[in-house]
Amino acid sequence: MKLAPVDYTILAVYFAFVLGIGWILRKKISTSGDFLLSGRSVPVWITSLAFIAANLGAQELVGMSASGAKYGIMTAHFYWIGAIPAILFVGIFMMPFYYGSKARSVPEYLKMRYDEKTRTYNAFSFAVMTIFSSGISMYALGKLLQLVLGWNFNMSVLVSAAIVLVYTFLGGLTSAIYNEVLQFLLIVAGFSPLAILAVAKAGGWQGIETRLSAMTLAGGISGRVMTHAWTYMGSPQSNPMGVELFGMVAGLGFVLSFGYWCTNYLVLQRAMAADSMNSARRTPLIGAFPKMFVPFIVIVPGIAAVALARMGIGYSIPVDANGAPNYNLVITTLMAKFYPAGMLGVGLTGLMASFMSGMAGNVTAFNTVWTYDIYQNYIRRNAPDRHYLNVGRATTIVGVVLSIGAAYIATRYDNIMDLLQLVFGFVNAPLFATFLLGMFWKRGTGHGAFSGLVTGTVAASLTWCLTVAEGKGGILGHVHTFPSAMAQSFWIALMAFTSCLLVTFVVSLATRPRPAEDLAGLVYGLTEIPVDRGSWYQRPAPLAVTVIAILLVLNIWFA
Amino acid sequence: MLDLRVPSGWFFTVLGLILLGMGIFAPDTRAALTDANVNLYSGLSMLAFGLIMLLLAWRASRRAS
Repeated sequence: MKLAPVDYTILAVYFAFVLGIGWILRKKISTSGDFLLSGRSVPVWITSLAFIAANLGAQELVGMSASGAKYGIMTAHFYWIGAIPAILFVGIFMMPFYYGSKARSVPEYLKMRYDEKTRTYNAFSFAVMTIFSSGISMYALGKLLQLVLGWNFNMSVLVSAAIVLVYTFLGGLTSAIYNEVLQFLLIVAGFSPLAILAVAKAGGWQGIETRLSAMTLAGGISGRVMTHAWTYMGSPQSNPMGVELFGMVAGLGFVLSFGYWCTNYLVLQRAMAADSMNSARRTPLIGAFPKMFVPFIVIVPGIAAVALARMGIGYSIPVDANGAPNYNLVITTLMAKFYPAGMLGVGLTGLMASFMSGMAGNVTAFNTVWTYDIYQNYIRRNAPDRHYLNVGRATTIVGVVLSIGAAYIATRYDNIMDLLQLVFGFVNAPLFATFLLGMFWKRGTGHGAFSGLVTGTVAASLTWCLTVAEGKGGILGHVHTFPSAMAQSFWIALMAFTSCLLVTFVVSLATRPRPAEDLAGLVYGLTEIPVDRGSWYQRPAPLAVTVIAILLVLNIWFA
Repeated sequence: MLDLRVPSGWFFTVLGLILLGMGIFAPDTRAALTDANVNLYSGLSMLAFGLIMLLLAWRASRRAS
């Protein structure tokens, strides 16, 4: 694929705007709170879109379109089951504690609710995870641009990292959040025409359905599975994901997704930057509306690509050097076939934008956790605020440099999504049990939470080391074989969550409870629950009901 | 505080104008698999979106002053 001058112009305009936003917002920064927390002053529509955009990195876009081509519309479960319920839960039930506790970060909430060691454990594991996510995203982008445009891997990684560095360094979290909104809009502008054109060319959804049901996937599975999200989920053998209903709903829909959306500071930081409790609670709920429809611009083009490849009109699924399909290239090869010079620039800039929003999200979350939870806690405690502002700025640079290092580590792994799920499974899955008990059970103690978290992570690692899926895992033995790596990661998450829940419960009962007055504002029953006023769209509960209604329609439609 | 609708409005206006220009003055720039003048239509939608954002921001700033 070759770009025309107009495409480069569009890319340059985009760079100018993101840097310009950082430049304008630099004047707003006078304290560490402005830099790391946006001074809790961002309007709700902006935090909502940033909440979604920070999660919509390049590996998400590329990985989801690849999964669309590989598994079909079942991939949408990563959104409909694997995100929306958790997003609603965090907005309605958990945000009153996060925002109301005045904690500056999620680890800091753990410190207030439990104790120092629980916070430190979470802060360190989170810091490592953000760096890895950011590095993986960078790797995904660099490799893609290298394959598609022949750009130098090091060059594209370093230039895009430098731009993220500059605008985050200048305007801190506010700059990252504002740019995430612009990036989200650009992703929609750059990807939705592709979905429309590709589906139209393949004869609409009906045409895709007809063409795909005629084919047979690996393992003798009927191609009808590609256009049905629920019908073929009875057993792992009847769908290409190798996942059954229970593993999907409990593993992905409950443990993994609640572990991510309800405890991950990367996304929650956006909500916690909102200008009021009501805005903080509505941030995830309003974000859920666009989130539900993201599958249509990232997954559906992947499905359409498979149908197009069967039509003999000059499109085929890209293959790697060994002749195996390389689904990660589906989205860019589609762009090359459907976008003329000009729109092609917008599409690729959208891809760059997704990478940058994902990376800036990681870097800003890393910044805050490092500065407040690790540096201020262990290295220098009572310095003037100016000092922490400078530390935050310096951490931006360190975070970006570490991410670049992680990008080179990521080059050793093939499937980006699997690796991400693996990391989330080890670190995030037990976490949700800790927060669930922390927010809704007064009796939970610091010793309980800490031992639960450690047990959960150990249980996750052990499950991975003792089971095998697609030739991975099984380092310590071979107790069970999963039909797919995805099923394995869902079950790892389930094991981690369950063991964390049990151990936290038992150890909490055996240790001394904290006095009730220490827990005011942190636990259900000891916290004033905000009363919501205003029209339906100004109140969390009716918003959530609306989301659920639309979600049901989507699931029934594509069942 | 910066009203984000202003920079995003300008961004999509500029993008829309570039694509619209391509769609009008280079209508033969087509992609392999579609007969539609993709630049023209997406340029028009982006321009419209950008102008709406600017209009909203302009109304908000007038109400504030």
